[in-house]
Amino acid sequence: MPSDFFSLPFEEDRKPASTSPAPERRVFSVSELTAAIRGVLESTFGEIRVEGEISNCRLWNTGHMYFTLKDGGAQIKAVMFRSAVRNLRFKAEDGQHVVARGRLGVYDPKGEYQIVCEHLEPRGLGALQLAFEQLKQKLQAEGLFDPARKRPLPSLPRKIGIVTSLDGAAIRDIIQVLRRRHPNAHLVIRPTRVQGEGAASDIVRALRALARVPGVDVVIAARGGGSIEDLWAFNEEMVARAIAACPAPVISAVGHEVDFTIADFVADLRAPTPSAAAEMVVTAKDDFCARIDRLAQRLHTTTRAQVQRRRAIVHALSARRGLAGWQARLAMRGRHAAELTHTLRRAATALLAARSRDLRALRLRLESRDLRRRLSDIRGRLGAADARMHSAAERSRHRADARFGSAAARLESLSPLAVLARGYAVCWNADRTAIIRTADAVAPADRVQVTLHDGEIQCIVEETHRHGSNH
Amino acid sequence: MDPTIKDFESAIAELETIVRTLEDGDLPLEKSLELYERGVQLSRFCHSKLEEAERRVEILNERGEVKAAPASFGADEDERTR
Repeated sequence: MPSDFFSLPFEEDRKPASTSPAPERRVFSVSELTAAIRGVLESTFGEIRVEGEISNCRLWNTGHMYFTLKDGGAQIKAVMFRSAVRNLRFKAEDGQHVVARGRLGVYDPKGEYQIVCEHLEPRGLGALQLAFEQLKQKLQAEGLFDPARKRPLPSLPRKIGIVTSLDGAAIRDIIQVLRRRHPNAHLVIRPTRVQGEGAASDIVRALRALARVPGVDVVIAARGGGSIEDLWAFNEEMVARAIAACPAPVISAVGHEVDFTIADFVADLRAPTPSAAAEMVVTAKDDFCARIDRLAQRLHTTTRAQVQRRRAIVHALSARRGLAGWQARLAMRGRHAAELTHTLRRAATALLAARSRDLRALRLRLESRDLRRRLSDIRGRLGAADARMHSAAERSRHRADARFGSAAARLESLSPLAVLARGYAVCWNADRTAIIRTADAVAPADRVQVTLHDGEIQCIVEETHRHGSNH
Repeated sequence: MDPTIKDFESAIAELETIVRTLEDGDLPLEKSLELYERGVQLSRFCHSKLEEAERRVEILNERGEVKAAPASFGADEDERTR
């Protein structure tokens, strides 16, 4: 026990026979004494923990809370200031057995000492609370609460897995919401215990089992409201890890809005209540529907706008001079082309028909001709030709004979022999190669031949004389 | 179903791309209409998928079997399993 505290008031009684001179009797004012007491109390005890039952608990408008802690033999006044009250996880009520942590203080105006509480912890739950805090810190350090880990809900859940008790209100709430909002929902419920011994391992098995069901693409882990002990399974490490390991996104929906569990921190999405969890799943689908509708709307609008813009351009172009009526012209061209094609085809067909007709006629003619008739025909023609040729040759001979007769007569008259017979002679050079036509062609003593109409005379030139000139 | 469409997510992603392309780009008309047709096809697919799921409440038991839930759980008039 602190010596100062007890020594002060009893000093006189315990040391009456002190050898020292009697100390001067000091008179304290009340305030002084009170201040001294406060000093002693505060410095002596520091931060303390006191266990007791809450009674006379009042929360003032200022936010401060006043109460009494008591046990079987004593009581002590207690105050908790607003800032500390705000941090309480539970509502302090009369009869609660708590451990208060705080410092002793003295309230001067009333001369009362009291404990000024920093924190209250319900007795019996302290260990759990501590475990909660410790686990929370540990998993947080591992990054299990990291926002980057949170997966989005599927736009259109094929199957909604649900981990909960079949007896609770949670499952009925979920089904009711889904029935109202999403009539096509396909639920796969894995019933589990959600509180008490073995609940945590039940929940873990349920999560794993649902993950193996094909098509389950979102899981709701739900439990209705209850005390912190009731919700405790959702604060256990194995449940937290199973949620983190679940291949499908997990929505935690445990207790009421104010209840937070470790499962809430690990889950991809925390729903304040089981009904809210169902709403979240449905909203994802509604959003999806709305998205499709908006996209389809935009698709139609933009395409229509594009077509209209093109149409406007075409209109503007056709309105311009030079292009006016291009459509009609184009149509005309088209028709013209069609007509041409038609004509062409018709002509081709006709030509082909004519050609095949010719071919057929030729073949007929070829086949109908009798070869023998053709031969006799040829023979006849040959005979006629022969006869004609014969008579022609005959005529030709007669004509030739006549021509020959006259020619002979003329030849007769031209013959030099006939002239020679009339007394003319021809004089040749000695070897009879040239006719001597001039006197100058020979000289005296040259030999010459003279042809008469009945023979030759060999002569020698004695003299030459030219008529008209003397040589 | 159209084999060129994988699932809703890819369908809606493609639809989004198409709409954006149509809205942004000055595409030739033929290309626009081609994309439009594809877009309509995709949005039809999505809508049909939305209606495809059927309402069912099932229980997955300890042995890993999936059975229809008792009628009290909102399932259709199925036989009671418990």
